[in-house]
Amino acid sequence: MTVVDLDDRDAQDTVVGRPRYVLDQHIEGELHAKIVRSPHPHARLDGVDPTRALATPGVVAVLTGADVSGDASINATFGRQRSDQPILAVGTLRYAGEPVALVVAESIEAAEAGREGVGIECRALPHVVDAEAAGAPDAPQLHAAWAGNGCGEWKLRYGDPEQGWREADRVFEGTYWSPPASHVPMEPHVCLAAWEDGRLSVWTSTQAPHRVRDDLAAVFRLAPEAVRVQTRDLGGAFGAKGQTTIEPMAAVAARRLGRPIRLELDRDEVFLTIGKHAASVRLATGVATDGRLLVRRVQVVYNAGAYALTSPLAAGQGLLRAPGPYRIPHVEAHVLARYTNTVPSGPFRGAMTSQLAFAYESQMDEIASSLGIDPVALRRRNLLKDGDQYATGEHLHQLHFGELLEDAARAVEWGTPCAPAPPGRVRGKGVAVMIKTTLTPSRSVARVELAADGSITVRSSSVEMGQGSRAALTRIVAQALGVQEARVSVPHPDTDRTPFDSSTSSSRTTSSMGTACVRAVDDLRCQLTERAAAELGVPAESLAHRDGAIGPQGGGARITYEHLLALGDPPLVGEGLFESHGGLPAMDPLDVRGFSTVHWHQGAAAAEVEVDCETGRVTVLRCHGSAYAGRVVNAHRVRQQNQGSVVFALGQTLMEELVYDEGRVVNANLAEYMIPSIQDVPELTSTAIESSDLEAEPHGVGEMALPAVAPAVANAVFHASGARIRCLPLTPERVLRCLRENARADGGSGG
Amino acid sequence: MPLRYVEPSSVLETCALLRSNRDARLIAGGTAVVLMLRQRLIDPSLLIGLRRVPGLDSITAASQWLSIGAAVTLQQVADSDRVRALAPSLAAACQEVGNVRVRNRATLGGNLAEADYASDPPAVLASLGAVVCTAAPEGGGRRIPVSDLITDYYTTQLTSDEVVLRVEVPLIDGRRSAYVKYRSRSSEDRPCVGVAASLVPDPQGWVASLEVVVGAVTSTPQRMTTATEGVVGARLDEARAGAVAAAVAAAIHPIADGRGSAWYRTQVIEVMVRRALAMVVA
Amino acid sequence: MLGPTVVAVAEMAPAPPGLDWQQTQLQLNHRRLTVTAPVTETLSRTLRCRVGLTSVRETCGVGVCGTCTVLLDGSAASSCLALTAQLAGVAVTTAEGLLGPDGEPGPVQRAFIRRGAYQCGFCIPAMTLAVHAALYVRRHRDREAVVDELSGNLCRCGSYPQIREVLMELLADRGGEAADGATTGGR
Repeated sequence: MTVVDLDDRDAQDTVVGRPRYVLDQHIEGELHAKIVRSPHPHARLDGVDPTRALATPGVVAVLTGADVSGDASINATFGRQRSDQPILAVGTLRYAGEPVALVVAESIEAAEAGREGVGIECRALPHVVDAEAAGAPDAPQLHAAWAGNGCGEWKLRYGDPEQGWREADRVFEGTYWSPPASHVPMEPHVCLAAWEDGRLSVWTSTQAPHRVRDDLAAVFRLAPEAVRVQTRDLGGAFGAKGQTTIEPMAAVAARRLGRPIRLELDRDEVFLTIGKHAASVRLATGVATDGRLLVRRVQVVYNAGAYALTSPLAAGQGLLRAPGPYRIPHVEAHVLARYTNTVPSGPFRGAMTSQLAFAYESQMDEIASSLGIDPVALRRRNLLKDGDQYATGEHLHQLHFGELLEDAARAVEWGTPCAPAPPGRVRGKGVAVMIKTTLTPSRSVARVELAADGSITVRSSSVEMGQGSRAALTRIVAQALGVQEARVSVPHPDTDRTPFDSSTSSSRTTSSMGTACVRAVDDLRCQLTERAAAELGVPAESLAHRDGAIGPQGGGARITYEHLLALGDPPLVGEGLFESHGGLPAMDPLDVRGFSTVHWHQGAAAAEVEVDCETGRVTVLRCHGSAYAGRVVNAHRVRQQNQGSVVFALGQTLMEELVYDEGRVVNANLAEYMIPSIQDVPELTSTAIESSDLEAEPHGVGEMALPAVAPAVANAVFHASGARIRCLPLTPERVLRCLRENARADGGSGG
Repeated sequence: MPLRYVEPSSVLETCALLRSNRDARLIAGGTAVVLMLRQRLIDPSLLIGLRRVPGLDSITAASQWLSIGAAVTLQQVADSDRVRALAPSLAAACQEVGNVRVRNRATLGGNLAEADYASDPPAVLASLGAVVCTAAPEGGGRRIPVSDLITDYYTTQLTSDEVVLRVEVPLIDGRRSAYVKYRSRSSEDRPCVGVAASLVPDPQGWVASLEVVVGAVTSTPQRMTTATEGVVGARLDEARAGAVAAAVAAAIHPIADGRGSAWYRTQVIEVMVRRALAMVVA
Repeated sequence: MLGPTVVAVAEMAPAPPGLDWQQTQLQLNHRRLTVTAPVTETLSRTLRCRVGLTSVRETCGVGVCGTCTVLLDGSAASSCLALTAQLAGVAVTTAEGLLGPDGEPGPVQRAFIRRGAYQCGFCIPAMTLAVHAALYVRRHRDREAVVDELSGNLCRCGSYPQIREVLMELLADRGGEAADGATTGGR
């Protein structure tokens, strides 16, 4: 056990509970808003009756979709990829839980009481919850503009699949199902909005301040500079706060009423705001008898929910990751996202990838078992290696899948039998590997300011949400500049003061913003060198930086950074840019090929489980996460991200599912939607594999092991008990049913 | 409607308040009542806090009975040396409820009055033959066997002006009791199946009487008298225990909810009855 | 932080007419506090919205997650399921109450800081109260018993491995620093 090397000045405020979240933020004179939500999964909205609500003492106003759509200065819908989401419902209700009206009151109590008094007049329409069913010709249609409920379609063809199918000795097929799930950040979504002199100012719990700024500017038809978005630390996000969601409602109400609005979601509303894409993955793989993968066909249907959010493009991200981390000469892939009358799906930690890895890594073990090959050996034989061509046609480099696999296998003592289980129970081990792209193209700008007192301020729009971005950027800047971390501060994002960043997501911050920071420091150092050269009257090339000072390379008198700025001077500012190009938007959706990502996320997991054969209950005895980290900036944070992602994944593996009945979510609370407790989580181990290159770029590690966890556990369950479960979560009931079916099948074959 | 909060200082005063305010609710730890208020499932005009009513917060034992005051918290029941010695399955079941914060606030009387089908203590109390003692205006107090108290989901036979005073658990020499809680999701889940077993052996160690009560699988705890009849006077060996378990599973038509389907519950009931019986025999 | 004696809370947020309000006097972190609030108001709302204590956070509102944990007369409770009106005379301790007399972090809080046992931090102040109650109020000595009590405090970031380290450290240290833990907080 090691004491943490963590110079994190936030630690005390965090542990003691001092204000640091948007939830802790208030604006003088604020009104409180509460959302009235659709009771129906799909309905024609005839009217909203605010009478009783308006009679509730303390209620100031009730806003409806008609108020928004009747205002010519506002775009009544928003959405970056498709502007399909109404700020408040107009004409049609598309999911149970959709915002229909906003009750604004002088106090939270009055807003809550008023919410009960809003009448919704509507006529129910047929609804569809399942994305496969939404593709049927007679399925209910959600959006007139998008026939067949299409919300993104992507295709890839690589090599000559027909030839592959002819050559294959064996073909394995299966359909693997991941249910809708919920992020459950502990802090709910919260937004404060106020207008002053035609300018909108918003505080919101977002992972993407500039995205929210641009979306709000579009809603109000303003220049982006007329909108200011600030955030503070987030009490967890996991993708749930990566999109504009409640901000337009708060901003519209604030403008209408001329007073600041505070809108904070209740827990059930967080479940009804954004969720994980349910997905069915149909996978067929042709192999040679020696275990070589020859050809693969993957067909994925993602459930986008009622509104597009990121689904059209995210489905393409799924396509890029669908072939899996293997060398396969012939691949055909077809990925769809479809609208349904369910909670809109958005980015979710391990986005679009967990569903795929569950499929291809479960099937990998099915192939191994059927061919009588050790599952690790089968993977070893097929994993992508440096220089291999991927199904997009690009040659991949800096690959570490082999090391990750061996590390994960070693962590559970692969090849050594499990310790004997108590009577009635069996034990087994499993491994899995995963491949993921990162957000490409993307852009991050950082400014590093040096003040005359020697303090350094990093202006960055990266959001601290528990992943340790502030600590990482502090360290990166301090190291690059050669100063103590205590001199560096990283204020909260504020689109008026911090430069552009695409978003804090896709495990990209340490790498993208980190790179921008290093470049900003380079810029700053150049400026310092020039000043020092002028001051000392020597050529800039003869100078070197050391310990916050500049002097001749060979040694001699040095000038500190502080001395180069006279008191009262404005701070010296260095600016750095990270920008990536290409990626999915540059590709033809129906013929995907080309450069996918600035780097490939690589991870692996291993698990040992015990299965109670009488109840089907799975206990994870140990679990290991391996991530490729490039260069590690902060070992403690990397370990937490890695292990935290395993804990998160164990929830979706064993217990999490958003359940719909008659089109309505029936478990939008933490008593019925269960997330892992400390007792549900075994002792965890993790490894961050680093590049041998000391200058390697750091990779985020928050999602690398995650997609591999569910298949590793499912494979361990199979190894232990013979139960192959192709539906998540691995509930005891599913396992028991499978054990019973296997027993019957054995009995039937004369066993 | 405006809501008042009062704290009467005697049982009599409490009964009178209940009688004169028909939509009043008693509140002790509040873990159930506040939840219902928050979810707007109830809309009382008066909340009657019980914390100043004397005599509801003690655990006492006499030769025949262990008596637990209605306002004793579930954690106090679980921690009580007396309860652990005299009714170990009750202590175990109370320790399994919710989390420590809920157990610190929720009371035994409140737990019974709430009559949540997915709660642990009622099945155990029924298996031990416990009796609820109540007070009502004009001397209308009663003794109600716990096995008769709960009549449906969240419904008891308590009248609107009746107050639970205490729960009495009969003490029987040599009795062996156990409670098995089976959770199908997180460690924090309520029971998918709860099985309480209570065995009184005869001098030879054979079964003089056996109670098996299954909780969380139907609207009320299921007391399985027919399924256990066959083993009275016999040795409860593995085969007989298995037969009892199978009979119990066959006799119950379980509900389906997020914790398991009816089919699954039937399978698990059999397993858990077997495990509970193994514990009382061992 | 709170003033030394009485805070007239009713003026901070006006009463919505139609709700019945009640005045309740409680002991918050060793100080007397008079709260005027609707009868249906939960302690979590009183502490966060009226008193302004940011360490008390409501996540689930059903007593499951533990982020609104407080100590009531030393025992852990969910403040989302306790009515303020019911707590006259009760000693309420929040994470602010675990601070030492000098305002510096107390022993449990220091252990969390030392081990870096947090990520987003939202659940952590409540977690420190749960650890405090398990170790120094209920005086568990066995790690499994402490983990069992902590299982009702959920952390979505998954900082459980570091929280286990905190427990091991504090259990190992019992007797020395641990003794002050019992007296500086949760009196």
